[in-house]
Amino acid sequence: MSDFKKYRCSVCGHIYDEAEGDFDTGIEPGTRFEDIPDDWRCPECGAEKSAYELME
Amino acid sequence: MHIVIIGSGVGGVSFVEKYRALCPDARLTLITRENDGYYSRPLLSRGFSTDTIEQSIILKPFDKLRAQSIDIISAAEVTAINPAERTVAVNGPDQQTLLSYDKLILAQGSSAFIPPPFRPYDELFFRLNNLVDLKKLRRFRQGFLDRNRRPAWAIIGGGLIGCEVASDLAVSGDPVTLYHASGRLMERQLVTEDSVSLLNVLKGSGVKVLLHQAVQGFSREGDKVSVNTGVSAAFDAVIVATGFKPRTELAEQAGLETGRGIKVNQRLQTSDEHIYALGDVAELPNGKLYAFILPIRNQALWLAGFLAGQESGDWQPPAFNPKAKVHGFEATHPYLF
Repeated sequence: MSDFKKYRCSVCGHIYDEAEGDFDTGIEPGTRFEDIPDDWRCPECGAEKSAYELME
Repeated sequence: MHIVIIGSGVGGVSFVEKYRALCPDARLTLITRENDGYYSRPLLSRGFSTDTIEQSIILKPFDKLRAQSIDIISAAEVTAINPAERTVAVNGPDQQTLLSYDKLILAQGSSAFIPPPFRPYDELFFRLNNLVDLKKLRRFRQGFLDRNRRPAWAIIGGGLIGCEVASDLAVSGDPVTLYHASGRLMERQLVTEDSVSLLNVLKGSGVKVLLHQAVQGFSREGDKVSVNTGVSAAFDAVIVATGFKPRTELAEQAGLETGRGIKVNQRLQTSDEHIYALGDVAELPNGKLYAFILPIRNQALWLAGFLAGQESGDWQPPAFNPKAKVHGFEATHPYLF
């Protein structure tokens, strides 16, 4: 799989990288951002998933 | 209703945006000494390994907040609070003004704590507390890189920020020596086992870690700065990272109750009923300062809801797990708080 994208939390700058997932919140490496549960929150600041923006 | 907010960190900005969303008609004024926009303070610790940091650290230009009809007075300093008259005196870039408020929110955050014995040597060391500090450090470092050299750094303090900065400079390729007073790293946040694994990770990144170090002061030696611990060693630059100090001076001068921070009750209200405080400056009745991004944002959103009449009861601290941004380090136990 290639073409993984990165998303940035607009509140604190935390980056969600699809290639890496998020270990602390149990998101497996390779998980697409749209496949993360809607109630997932930024592990750094607690902002809602909708606070994330796609990075160019 | 006119609410005045002092400070444009995560506390002030989260509050003002949330309150605007809840109360479209309220008048909101945010006063800040910053001039670069709202930026991510945690990312300061990645300020050397990220080339584009000076742009990418900005999460929101102030104009984006102004577009939500929030007045932003930037590059400005509040010089006095008058609780009896309910006014704040503002020393702005173009003018001095006196603003009246119905509610005042103090969210000025903290500055770097410099231990008294170091204060006479202020011009001999850097600190990394805000974006202005980071830009200064990056310019200094670039001066060396431009001459194909690497500055040798001494970091004073092996707490959270000191370990993060040492890690980031080391993975960026610079020689780093970390001085720590205690016998183990981040002893306030980590259990012993995790301190040991952090030590190994830092050593693996090339950081020279010196524990049990009583740094007495600094002295200039030609182009270099010497760190004196009984013996002395010379470096191109020194960064002091020995904790933070809440900005309580304005509150003190205004006669508010202060301790380490500005004392607030469980509703984040100071000893003056029209003034609230949150973030690094707020000291809760249990004596704690919730100086981490997740609880600060939680305080800000709660207070906006409370003042908008949509929350009742008390602010309750949320569960949170702070995490040091040290390259390659994961603690196996939760951080102590």
